[in-house]
Amino acid sequence: MISYLASIGVTIGIYALLALGINVAWGLTGMINLGMAGFFALGAYASAIATTSGELPILIGVVLGFIFAAGGGLLLAAITFRLRGDYLAIITLGFSESVRLFMTNEIWLTRGPDGISDIPGPLRGELTPRDFNLLYLGLMIVVLIVVVILLRNLANGPYGRALRAIRDDDVVAAVAGKPVGRLRLEAFALGAGLLGLAGALFGHYHSYIAPDMFLPLITIYIFLALTAGGPGNMLGAVLGAALVVAVLEGTRFVHDVIPGLSIVQVAAVREITVGLLLILALRFRPRGLVPERPARSSELGLSTPRRNR
Amino acid sequence: MTRRLTMKRRQLLATGAIGAGALTMPRLALAQSDGPIMLGTLTPLTGVGGTYGPSMRDAVAGVIDSVNSAGGVLGRQIELVSEDTQTNPEAAVRAARKLVDVDGVSAVIGTWASSVTTAVAPVCWEGGVMVYTVSGSDSITQLPHEGYIIRTQPNSQLQIEVAAQFMVDQGATRVAWIGPQTPFAESSIAILGDVAGEGGASMDSLIYEADRTSYRSEVDQIMTGDPDFLMLGGYAADSTVLLRDLFQAGYEGKIIGPAYAVNASVLDALPNDVVEGLFTWEGTPDVTSGAYARVQEILGVDVVDPYSAQTYDHANLAILAMAAAGSSTGADMRGGVRTISQGDGEIIDNAVDGLAILADGGSVNYNGASGPCDFTRIGDITGTQFLFRQIQDGQPVDFETV
Repeated sequence: MISYLASIGVTIGIYALLALGINVAWGLTGMINLGMAGFFALGAYASAIATTSGELPILIGVVLGFIFAAGGGLLLAAITFRLRGDYLAIITLGFSESVRLFMTNEIWLTRGPDGISDIPGPLRGELTPRDFNLLYLGLMIVVLIVVVILLRNLANGPYGRALRAIRDDDVVAAVAGKPVGRLRLEAFALGAGLLGLAGALFGHYHSYIAPDMFLPLITIYIFLALTAGGPGNMLGAVLGAALVVAVLEGTRFVHDVIPGLSIVQVAAVREITVGLLLILALRFRPRGLVPERPARSSELGLSTPRRNR
Repeated sequence: MTRRLTMKRRQLLATGAIGAGALTMPRLALAQSDGPIMLGTLTPLTGVGGTYGPSMRDAVAGVIDSVNSAGGVLGRQIELVSEDTQTNPEAAVRAARKLVDVDGVSAVIGTWASSVTTAVAPVCWEGGVMVYTVSGSDSITQLPHEGYIIRTQPNSQLQIEVAAQFMVDQGATRVAWIGPQTPFAESSIAILGDVAGEGGASMDSLIYEADRTSYRSEVDQIMTGDPDFLMLGGYAADSTVLLRDLFQAGYEGKIIGPAYAVNASVLDALPNDVVEGLFTWEGTPDVTSGAYARVQEILGVDVVDPYSAQTYDHANLAILAMAAAGSSTGADMRGGVRTISQGDGEIIDNAVDGLAILADGGSVNYNGASGPCDFTRIGDITGTQFLFRQIQDGQPVDFETV
């Protein structure tokens, strides 16, 4: 039971990192990235290949996963420099499919549809499965706390304000003297890097990755997490990820609660629930459980007229 | 003041979310040594494999019912827990962790897609749980599983060898393989090339992109080599398009495809002219066996699909392995399964008979619905029968059994 709870915790952590990565590009800067699965795969493969064929330490693999995905994000953002909204969404979705096809067909590098197995994990094999799960959960929490703190500082600082200005109206931001193009590139690359980090940690945890694991379905889960949690808000992303995993896993126990359902119906109910939640979240809480608060001038440290008393 | 209120509401929301998360896990049952023995099915109930998973699961449920009404195994009843792979390795891993850690199953039965099996296998063997699978990819039994994987599906190497020999025996001189990128693509081409070479035939191959609506340029390309016997390597959706395009391009040679790739839906979708004379082959269940008849009865169907026949065998093998090992742990069942699946014991075709013989101190050799169920050291099946069929007037007609 403890292993199971720990593994749910790790899954929440990975989903939360993915949600944070999407949050930087979409929630803060307003750039839709439907290519999430592609960057997730890029990070997972970079780290897996580096630590299996390359025999590098896990830590370096994870860093490489971040760098590769961020580099891919920078490249894609540069290519699509002038695209906005729907057009950017279509290109990123295409990118994600291209990555999957590359992983499927370049067998010399990625072992193709067989996938890469035996990816090392920290102390895997030396610990019992329970202790390994707990250790990984601990690492995951540390990574998550660091990322959340860094992103919060970023989002609440002048940099984050500039990103939000671009999201709300990029012409106004440009008129105010913000380097809109460069900021968009940076935000997209940073978001992609976080997706890659999640991918690397995913691979080392499960010890196996294959192209089938990076289907667009997971993108839907993450957008649900972010919409439920509150786009633009870092804690909201983490909370949303926890909520989505709780729903995905909690619905397994539906047949204990509603005994009349057949096994196939339970399976269908689980998938319906996810879709229904997405619709309900968009309809009733479009700004999420933890909405982004409009910033107040007093919190921004700007000088405000104040009466002396 | 406003700010303090916001914080409170946030805390309330956070607490609420955590509470809701806790409520979704009402059952905190752990593996117990005195309660029922747990068996898990992990079949695809949704996704691409969703057409097979439900009956695969029902076949297992049928075996468990019959064993329970005959008194159970090791003096305990058996309880079935079923999870859905969603035909997706990521979802399947989460499901497997639940089966292993929460339900404490002794075995996980019925993983279907090869990538799913490869993904869940480490979760199972690290947790000391056996995996019984119907996946065909060669790499699965080559994993460092230490005996925890048993596979009843002939691996792709054996399947291709048998079909390649058939093509040569039918007088092929220029064979060609055409299919999408799958775990079997590379090995299929290599094996077909070897067998064709030994038979004095030339060999050509083409890997295409799956799920396209037209394969005309691929067909043109493969026909430049003027092949006289083509092997299809894709799934049903591709085969429909490819067969149509081959027909329109005027291909006159022979064609063979795996039965899952040229199934009833393909035959329905295409005119009889297009599929006339086409060969199919599959590892066939032993349709004359008593076990097969029992699966027919459990599922209420005339024709049992190969996967449900295999999961019926999985459940019987797992239960007999427990009895032989005198234990329901995966570590002990690894040895037990080989003592009851092969050897000189009395031949049986169901667990209830086998349990009675084992209880009297006898030994058994289980032959099931899918075939003799004998396994190599790494868990691959041997001795599967293959059925070749030919399409005549839109209907598959038995051609020969190998």
